[in-house]
Amino acid sequence: MWQRRAFLKAAGVGFAASLLPQQLMALERNELVFASSVQTKAGGYGAVLMGERGDVITTLALPDRGHDITVSIEAGRGVVFARQPGTFAVVFDPAGKEAPITLTSPEGRHFYGHGVFSPDGRWLYATESDFEAAKGVIGVYDTRAGYQRISEFPTYGTGPHELLLMPDGKTLVIANGGIETHPDYGRTELNLDTMDPSVAFVDRTSGELVGQLRLDAGLHQLSIRHMAIDARSRVWFGCQFRGSASASPQLVGYATMDGEIKLIELPSVTLLDLRNYVGSVAASSDGSTIAVSSPEGDLLVAIDAEGKRPVLVETLRNGCGLAPDGAGFVASSGEGELIGIAGSREERQQFDFSFDNHMLRVG
Amino acid sequence: MMRIVLALLFALIAGPAMAQLSTSPGEVMRGAVNNFIRPAMTDFGGKADALSTAVAQLCTTPSQANLSAVDTAFANTALAFGRIEAIRVGPIMEENRAERLLFWPDRKGIALKQVQAILSSQDESATSPETLRSKSVAVQGLTALEFVLYGTGFEALNTADGAFRCRYGLAIAQSVANVADELVAAWNAEDGIALHLMKPDATFTDFRTPVEAQEELVGILSHGIEAVRDTRLNPFLAKGAAAAKPKLALFWRSGLTVPMARANIDGLQALYDLSGIDGGVPADRTALPVAISAEFAQADAALDLVTDPVETAVADPAQAQALADVVTATQQLGVLIGEQLSSALGLSVGFSSLDGD
Repeated sequence: MWQRRAFLKAAGVGFAASLLPQQLMALERNELVFASSVQTKAGGYGAVLMGERGDVITTLALPDRGHDITVSIEAGRGVVFARQPGTFAVVFDPAGKEAPITLTSPEGRHFYGHGVFSPDGRWLYATESDFEAAKGVIGVYDTRAGYQRISEFPTYGTGPHELLLMPDGKTLVIANGGIETHPDYGRTELNLDTMDPSVAFVDRTSGELVGQLRLDAGLHQLSIRHMAIDARSRVWFGCQFRGSASASPQLVGYATMDGEIKLIELPSVTLLDLRNYVGSVAASSDGSTIAVSSPEGDLLVAIDAEGKRPVLVETLRNGCGLAPDGAGFVASSGEGELIGIAGSREERQQFDFSFDNHMLRVG
Repeated sequence: MMRIVLALLFALIAGPAMAQLSTSPGEVMRGAVNNFIRPAMTDFGGKADALSTAVAQLCTTPSQANLSAVDTAFANTALAFGRIEAIRVGPIMEENRAERLLFWPDRKGIALKQVQAILSSQDESATSPETLRSKSVAVQGLTALEFVLYGTGFEALNTADGAFRCRYGLAIAQSVANVADELVAAWNAEDGIALHLMKPDATFTDFRTPVEAQEELVGILSHGIEAVRDTRLNPFLAKGAAAAKPKLALFWRSGLTVPMARANIDGLQALYDLSGIDGGVPADRTALPVAISAEFAQADAALDLVTDPVETAVADPAQAQALADVVTATQQLGVLIGEQLSSALGLSVGFSSLDGD
């Protein structure tokens, strides 16, 4: 029961009281709460807050396709970011009591779909593009000032994607995917010949670079996109390869604040099944297992973080979203499926909407 | 509209008969490779060789007639490339061949600056394909050659004053021909990319099953149509209060902007038609191929209405509208092919994938 209680705590005093009766029932029937961007059958976009039994607690309509969601217990708010190169982010009250606020990226910037709160819930950090300069920036928003964007600092790379807060609460780790895009050219990738992906550790208070790690120069087309942090504070990352399909470099690795960066050796059959594409990365609740997904290859892989080898491989058509559920992970798909893997007791469920690439465990 | 109504009517009549012509993924890939990709690559190779010969002739004997012959050969080569540009699989994805053939989009005008620097400094190392190879990819391909042939100072090409410019142009033409020949050789090899697409095998790293190969084909069609919209049309068309910017268009100097977009779309339509992929659509979805063909026809009809070079076309309301209609058709095709066809064929090229997020 701790999960539901944690969520109730996250949502703040009075959350349950503010729910409509059916929402309250939905919450009471479920142990876990998840959030994901979705596409409806009719083609509309939104975000849902739902229980593991499939009860939808809250839905939020979005003006266009959303991507990742971040939630802060302290701020009592969640934020859905537009899929790149979108220019909106929607701040919502999980209870649906307060009206959502739509943030718009400033002139010359767009979102990349990911963000994170400071531990005290005061600041919101989002990966953004300074697209004229082809440089990544972190937009800093003050949650106590109506989510006003008060400053920005560099990501020290191009095409930043996911960012996470390190366990020290002070350092942001940013996956600089290395790919340049510009809204004038849609999602066209403009610099495949000169990509320079990296993992950057940045002090969130000063914006200064703490450390930056790159893979071997021969792997410059390996775009580092998504991450999760394990029990030993290692940052596991998943890549997408932009070179020829006839090459199949390793796609999963880890980086540390001590300066180590390494790709692990996945067996070739697993690697080939990933189809040069990792869509999301998650860590189990205890940080001992890492899961990666490939919607291109319909594959989910759970990796033992200590042994650095896969412990489970599962097929899920168009599967991408991953979130810890205690013992294992839940995984969601573009076909509207939700399943449990690697020790999760979650039963397979089918929804009448498509899950987007990321699933967040809220409580 | 009438066209679509007729097409749908036809689908209703022809539906049951078409349902019996179910094409397997293997047949589709053989159709794609043998009926379209290989011949179109060979055509591009031939056109690129002819361009190289024509530029050599111009350099040896500068004249207006020889310059005109080069113009024709350049257009032929660019448009032949336009037809296969979307085939971003296999050899084109290796050794930066795609960028070496056509450096585009070039948002910061890198090619222009670098080509102008070569021309003004008369950099001799740019005049042989071997040494040109070690330079920026932006100065090696058709984008660079277009500036040499049509950019400021091109008039010198038909006199002896243009000797350096011509020799640099020749090195580019030879470089393009070399890359084209590599593509032709790779696609015609018995054990290369063509085999992998037509006869996928569990031992291959790229394509292990017919379904994976067919996913690649649908990805090529879907990404190809998106690229026409995002890199060839939208960047220069007027948007809201923002005026059209025709000088951001590919090949505006040579007047090939619209012909190139047409070559792109025609190539995609030929790939779609000649692969026979529509034959794999299940019996209850036969309206889909009809809708796809109708949308390709809409794009073609709209392109027919754009008769002026891009700079004047965008200033003429009728032609500007026609260009906007092409954009609409590409949006429709993106949904019809990338989402509906993919789903009708049971492929994993769906909502979460095909986008790089």
